[in-house]
Amino acid sequence: MVPCAKIVRTAERFSCEIHIQKADRSADAKTMLDLLTLSAENGSVLVLEARGAEADEAVKALARLFESNFDDPASGSRPGVGSDR
Amino acid sequence: MTLPPARGRVSGRIASSRESRCLMQIKRGVAVSPGVVTGEVLVLGTEDFRIPNRFVSIDAVESELGRFRNTLEMVWEEIEENEQLARDQLGDQFGAIFGAHLQMARDPKLIAEIEGLISEKSLSPEFASSRVLRRFARELQNLGNQYHAERAVDIFDLEKRILRHLLGERREELVHLTAPVIVLAHNLTPSETANLDRQFVMGFATEVGGHTSHTAILAGALEIPAVVGLGHCLSDVSGGEMVIIDGNHGEVILEPDDATLAKYRELEERVQSVSQRLASLKTLPAETLDGESITLLGNIEFPEEATVCRDRGAEGIGLYRTEFLYLEQNQIPSEEDHYEAYRKVIAANPDHPVTIRTLDIGADKIPETTGELMPEVINPQLGLRSVRLSLRNIPLFKTQLRAILRAAVGGDVRVMFPLISNLLELRQARMILGDVMDDLEEQKIPFRRDVPVGIMVEVPATVMLAEEFAREVDFFSIGTNDLIQYTLAVDRADPSVADLYRSGDPSILRLVRTVISAAAKHDVAVTVCGQMSSDPVFIPLLVGMGVRQFSSSPHAIPELKEVIRNLTIEQAEQIAAHAQSLDLARDVENYLRGELNRICPDLVL
Repeated sequence: MVPCAKIVRTAERFSCEIHIQKADRSADAKTMLDLLTLSAENGSVLVLEARGAEADEAVKALARLFESNFDDPASGSRPGVGSDR
Repeated sequence: MTLPPARGRVSGRIASSRESRCLMQIKRGVAVSPGVVTGEVLVLGTEDFRIPNRFVSIDAVESELGRFRNTLEMVWEEIEENEQLARDQLGDQFGAIFGAHLQMARDPKLIAEIEGLISEKSLSPEFASSRVLRRFARELQNLGNQYHAERAVDIFDLEKRILRHLLGERREELVHLTAPVIVLAHNLTPSETANLDRQFVMGFATEVGGHTSHTAILAGALEIPAVVGLGHCLSDVSGGEMVIIDGNHGEVILEPDDATLAKYRELEERVQSVSQRLASLKTLPAETLDGESITLLGNIEFPEEATVCRDRGAEGIGLYRTEFLYLEQNQIPSEEDHYEAYRKVIAANPDHPVTIRTLDIGADKIPETTGELMPEVINPQLGLRSVRLSLRNIPLFKTQLRAILRAAVGGDVRVMFPLISNLLELRQARMILGDVMDDLEEQKIPFRRDVPVGIMVEVPATVMLAEEFAREVDFFSIGTNDLIQYTLAVDRADPSVADLYRSGDPSILRLVRTVISAAAKHDVAVTVCGQMSSDPVFIPLLVGMGVRQFSSSPHAIPELKEVIRNLTIEQAEQIAAHAQSLDLARDVENYLRGELNRICPDLVL
């Protein structure tokens, strides 16, 4: 739940549309409940998609968040992140 | 850059899957108090919010939207304060939980959906918020893993926060009802049940509980339709939705469609007019059309119910289940506790018989029993319970028997031993009863010596030896609940096999017949108690088989009387003969239902 909140907080900084996809489901990265119901567990393969102003910056910022394991330096394992655009 | 269609597609998919869902849900539980009622539901959670209005008038939509916005801002502020507090006092990771709650409360999709329901469907902000949040909660629960199921709790927390702010002063409590409602709760304590405002509470249903829970018993005494043991269902309702309680079949229908609602409304009216008519039977005799008199007795658990039986036209108490003396308090009842309770029941039945059944529960239910009596129980229904327990704990047994014999001085008291499964048990129990009489005589304490002694016939082995037993007892009481359970090897509390529990099974009919003919041969009285004798469907059959005495739940007495008063012995005997020629439980039950429909169409619901 807390990682979802961090994703929303990061996504909100950008005006572009940001979606996170897992298999055939897609969640708006700016809505908490959407992300929760995406049911992405550690190790899930997610596709990050952004369109609009600052799309590249948004993807980079979110990818950084994932790569830093949501600012949790204690944990070692990392979810796989793919991005387009 | 152009916007991709993705967003529209996603929200569209979710919205359509929700809107097209049929909202009607049928939940099955245990019928504990008959009757049918339809009305708006009041959900009692841990906090008793009642949503007073589901809809607002069209002119009020704008101001209601404003109220919702204001509330949301208050909720955000409150969560931010909690976040700060948790961060300061407990650490960042705890603050982060509230941070996530705040993100949920600010979720644009959530807000848009709630606002949409307010502006487009004129739902009240309370109803709209509760509805949308509960849908999200359900969706999370349906993802099927523990983590997400627990997140649903976070959503319920948010729902409570929003409702608390929205309702403010308008929060209504159970004691301050002003309009009729149907109560739906996880559980109701006996005191809550007893205090339900009968003017406004038209019926209730609970997620937990069974036939013998105090709540179930009190519901019967209150005479409002009730169903218990529904299983998980509270999260599917917000309060204010339409709900139907069918206390005859143990069903609760949430958000019924129009056709179902119309059907039940009609049924409700019929049930009401029938029960009014049945109430007028109270002073009329329970006599068949051809003048054969049938004795109707009541089953009770609490002494207070004795007067309910009398008011319903019972001619005595056929089964006084004394276990509740042991369950009510957290210590073994004293002889005086027993005596006082029995005196109360006898006083309410000065001219009628009172059959007191000795302790009929498992060792695990008795407080303060010794370790020797509390072994690891694998199969409690086949374990140390009932008369077996009494025979293993003679001081406990003697205390109860002393109180029964002393109380018997003032009335027509009979003593009955439950779960007798062999002759030795009966003889031992009688011997102890004799010892107690000798003790009382020696101590010059007044008691009654000529108390009739009988047994519950509820173990198939006892039926097999019914003739032998008949030589040694004054009466039989056929306990159909346990007899069916032991004969068909079905625990009806287990939902996975409950459908195999059939009162109409040919094997059961044959066992009942065996007992009746053994009793007739030795001139021993037979009563039928248990669920079967409270169901009007089985009355013509049992009368036709020769039963002249029934002991049933007090609320069933008027119905049984109605059946009897419309029946002739010849007709009953024909019905019994045909029913006994059928070889499937289903056929027996369908046939009996059809016959009841011809005798008393009103009672077939």
